[in-house]
Amino acid sequence: MTSSLPGFLFAIPFFAAIVIPVVGFTNQKLCRPIALVALVFLSIVSVIGLNEAVSHGPLSHEFGGWAPPIGIEWVIDGLSGLLMVAVSVVSLIALVHAGPLVEKELAGRVIPFYSLSLLLIAALGGMVLAGDLFNLFVFLEIGSLASYVLVGVAGGRSLLSSFRYLILGTIGASLYLLGVGYFYAETGTLNMADLALRLPEVLDSRAVLIGLIFITLGLSIKMGLFPLHGWLPDAYTYAPNSCTPLLASVVTKVPLYAFVRIAFWVFSMDAVSTQIPILVVLGWVGAVAAIVGAYLAIWQENFKRMLAYSSISSMGLFMLGFSLGTETGFAGALFYVLADTLMKAALFGVAGAAIYQCGANTVADLARLRRNMPWVLAALIVSALSMVGIPPTAGFFGKWHLVVGALEAEKYFAVVAILVTSMLTALYFFRMFQRVWAKEPLPSVEPHVLETPFPIKVSLGVLTFGIMALGFGSDLVMGLFFESVIPKGF
Amino acid sequence: MADILINRPHFVAFIILFLLGMYIMVVCLNLVKKLIGMYLMQTSIILFFITLAVKKESTIPIILPSAAALAPEVYANPLPHVLMLTAIVVGVSTLGVSLAMVIALYRQYNTLEEDQILGKMK
Repeated sequence: MTSSLPGFLFAIPFFAAIVIPVVGFTNQKLCRPIALVALVFLSIVSVIGLNEAVSHGPLSHEFGGWAPPIGIEWVIDGLSGLLMVAVSVVSLIALVHAGPLVEKELAGRVIPFYSLSLLLIAALGGMVLAGDLFNLFVFLEIGSLASYVLVGVAGGRSLLSSFRYLILGTIGASLYLLGVGYFYAETGTLNMADLALRLPEVLDSRAVLIGLIFITLGLSIKMGLFPLHGWLPDAYTYAPNSCTPLLASVVTKVPLYAFVRIAFWVFSMDAVSTQIPILVVLGWVGAVAAIVGAYLAIWQENFKRMLAYSSISSMGLFMLGFSLGTETGFAGALFYVLADTLMKAALFGVAGAAIYQCGANTVADLARLRRNMPWVLAALIVSALSMVGIPPTAGFFGKWHLVVGALEAEKYFAVVAILVTSMLTALYFFRMFQRVWAKEPLPSVEPHVLETPFPIKVSLGVLTFGIMALGFGSDLVMGLFFESVIPKGF
Repeated sequence: MADILINRPHFVAFIILFLLGMYIMVVCLNLVKKLIGMYLMQTSIILFFITLAVKKESTIPIILPSAAALAPEVYANPLPHVLMLTAIVVGVSTLGVSLAMVIALYRQYNTLEEDQILGKMK
């Protein structure tokens, strides 16, 4: 069905990103309301889009009146609609949370912060909706440029980590573009739906094999998949606290989505698991990534760095889930992606609030949360339990479906990897709890603790509620996945 | 191997430029040299795409109102050129952002060598 809805989903944050510097030039206080209003609209429109796509079939928009495969096409189907809702809602919450932090740590850079955040969200939307491999590349780069600058916007230490992120990210994007070139040379098309029709005939060609390898490598760098995660820990540790909830929750998930779209929709389940068995390799890579990421997280003293390694571990679990090759595994991995988006936003939100209110940088400093910060502490407990996988949180159901999917596929190494990762995750979060409730009395000369600002309370409350609600509603969500998200060929 | 060199010299040039760019990015400690490597790598990909479109003795892909439609074999494929125009814009904006970062780093640490910057951070 043709509809201009996909265009709106990009236009709303993009125009807000342009309006903010113009308006902010005269009155800086207006930046935040404009950004939040735009994101509220975006969330509403994306929920409408998902609803339409699930009930009436995919919506597509052709740019400039040229019908695909010649023209550029944007599509909302089950998967892209779902990702779009996740991106817009979580980024709305992340920007609500960012308000007080921006005023404190980025005082002179309020305009760039809001403008770049919205540009990033617009680009992520473009990546999710694009039905064309080259269009995807353009939005991948716009989004990456915005996130490089958001990482380095505070100056100081973050600049070098942002520069390294830029170098590695550009290598990733170049490899992706090269892979697209191979596909184009072999099939003569860039439209995803058209490629899906033409690729089965040329699957044994070497150009398609090399192209797929380049695309996978390029996107793996962008999503921070071990062992190509080099940029991620530093970027997340030194990025301003107001940016990390947004960066950590959605920016790596969207390249993962792009990979899933290419592997299962452009190629097919059969092609990527038997003819070009890239899923077999990625299954093992994912298993190693999940375990190594969790193992490295145990040794981190800095709280944000611990969460960064935890992100690397989660990325391994997603890859493992998508590579299982069963419906339950696929839906479970997708469920875990949604859960992790909420959990990472909440955890980095807690880290930001802890630094804002009492300067707690390290895991040991978190003991200060016991005093005067009940909201933040509650969010920390719920999201940490969800990361470990304690029922009835969303994290438990995500891991549960992954394990069930692995058992269905009879891939026992995956079951072992998921369980070992959960145990290691439990180790570093329980070590954190032990520090927080250590028997030692708090230092009597307590550093000044600020009141928890209202926006932080609201956003952490909503995220915590979301984690619990996703857990309780897991049957409903999984039912939706089975109905309208699973690709053909399972 | 010699076969490839004679029939497809542009692919060999692309591979050399790409690997050279990557090598410079990884090995050089100077931030500006890293960026030179990065731009070399991006440019090599542009070369790769453009060579896909090359045909000997082909015309430009323009249909005049008076003439009949051209057969696809007669004109050069314009699509890779158009894609690369966009890729050039992407490359230039990446370079712009990265140079801005290098300037900010230089103002703060007064050097462009990565190891010296790391030393000053401690």
